[in-house]
Amino acid sequence: MINNENVKVEIRGLRKSFGKHEVLKGIDCDIHTGEVVCVIGPSGSGKSTFLRCINCLEEPTAGTVKVDGNLMDENAKNIDELREDVGMVFQHFNLFPHLTVLRNLTIAPTLRKKMGEEEANKVAMELLARVGLADKATAMPRSLSGGQKQRVAIARALAMRPGLMLFDEPTSALDPEMVGEVLDVMRQLAGEGMTMVVVTHEMGFARQVSDRVLFIDQGVIAEEGTPADVFDRPQNERTKSFLNKVLEA
Amino acid sequence: MLTQGLSLTLELAGVSLVFAMVIGIFASLMGMSKNPILRGINKAFVAIIRGTPLLVQGFFIYFGITGLLGIRITAFMAGTIALSLNAGGYLSEIFRGGIQAVDPGQREAARSLGLSASQTTWRIIIPQAIRICIPSVVNQWCITIKDTSIISVIGLAELTKMGQNIIARTYRSFEVWIIVGAMYFIVIWLLTVLARVVEKKVSLDD
Repeated sequence: MINNENVKVEIRGLRKSFGKHEVLKGIDCDIHTGEVVCVIGPSGSGKSTFLRCINCLEEPTAGTVKVDGNLMDENAKNIDELREDVGMVFQHFNLFPHLTVLRNLTIAPTLRKKMGEEEANKVAMELLARVGLADKATAMPRSLSGGQKQRVAIARALAMRPGLMLFDEPTSALDPEMVGEVLDVMRQLAGEGMTMVVVTHEMGFARQVSDRVLFIDQGVIAEEGTPADVFDRPQNERTKSFLNKVLEA
Repeated sequence: MLTQGLSLTLELAGVSLVFAMVIGIFASLMGMSKNPILRGINKAFVAIIRGTPLLVQGFFIYFGITGLLGIRITAFMAGTIALSLNAGGYLSEIFRGGIQAVDPGQREAARSLGLSASQTTWRIIIPQAIRICIPSVVNQWCITIKDTSIISVIGLAELTKMGQNIIARTYRSFEVWIIVGAMYFIVIWLLTVLARVVEKKVSLDD
């Protein structure tokens, strides 16, 4: 099933340091088209940095990240085009507060894809309907709840029709009662075959939705496998102790 | 006579502030540039503006530079240049502060959607920075309007100078300074009210 032809992301020897502190200490990983990969691990283990290296929000100190065979490099001329294909959803939503919900969705398609306003609006309305927020099109982001903001943020990323979606702890800043509505949208997206990399603390989601789980600890992939492998039969002591801590709580 | 003085004050302040805004924008962009030379120029500019009195800046431009170059400019021109540079220096710091106050997550979100660096700056960062800056910019406008009175010493018959002239003839110090003060006050009060309306209209807070 998995072969080189459907490799969406190829990560080789990825290292990232902030000053003297090395956060990622050599990561090799392939992510395949249609695959849902959840990344779990303790705080400060480098999960988010790993994710942010995929669309080059962080520039690797060493090693390479390729998406569809294209090197992700901040100084590359085509980096903006490469990023168009990689949607990202942030912990703190990062909606554009000065733009309406609809314009949050249409700004990138109209500026980047030279899509006409009418067409962009149509696409945006379809996406808002999909995340259950068609009635909020003219609202400003500040009037939305956290869960609604995050659903808009997902729709905004989808408006560029990306082939890959990155989620950086998308439910960590939400009140508990709003986590479900965001996870439902993500579940639906996974069901439609979207390639997804999800950094999360939602173990239930990771177990249920992902094809593969990566456990990152101290800057390396300490363990990986199917959810059943990682959650039910962890081999690594650090994985065991991490899971004991999070699943007990 | 006082209304003539007021109109010169407004003219001087208005023209200076337009130039000051332009200078401020470019100076702040220089200050945030990747190029260390441009950053250095901005730093030196701001340091000189901050470190010397407006009065000295005015004298230097009107007498110092014109004397050295052997050219003549009008007092109005000299006053405008001094006020523009002075307010421009302070505004550049206000703009830089405003741009840097925008959540870094905004830039990341925009770049992650594929927006280029300049699209991100102009479409996402600047519109939010302007909102953040409004109170401080209006504050600087008020200061510059009043600073026109300092620059009158190079020979501009603006409001304060007109007041002095009237007193020289009438000796009615108390009444004249009350009226002159009230005129400044009303202009600035109107500006502040207007600014507050604008601020409220574009506010992004709850």
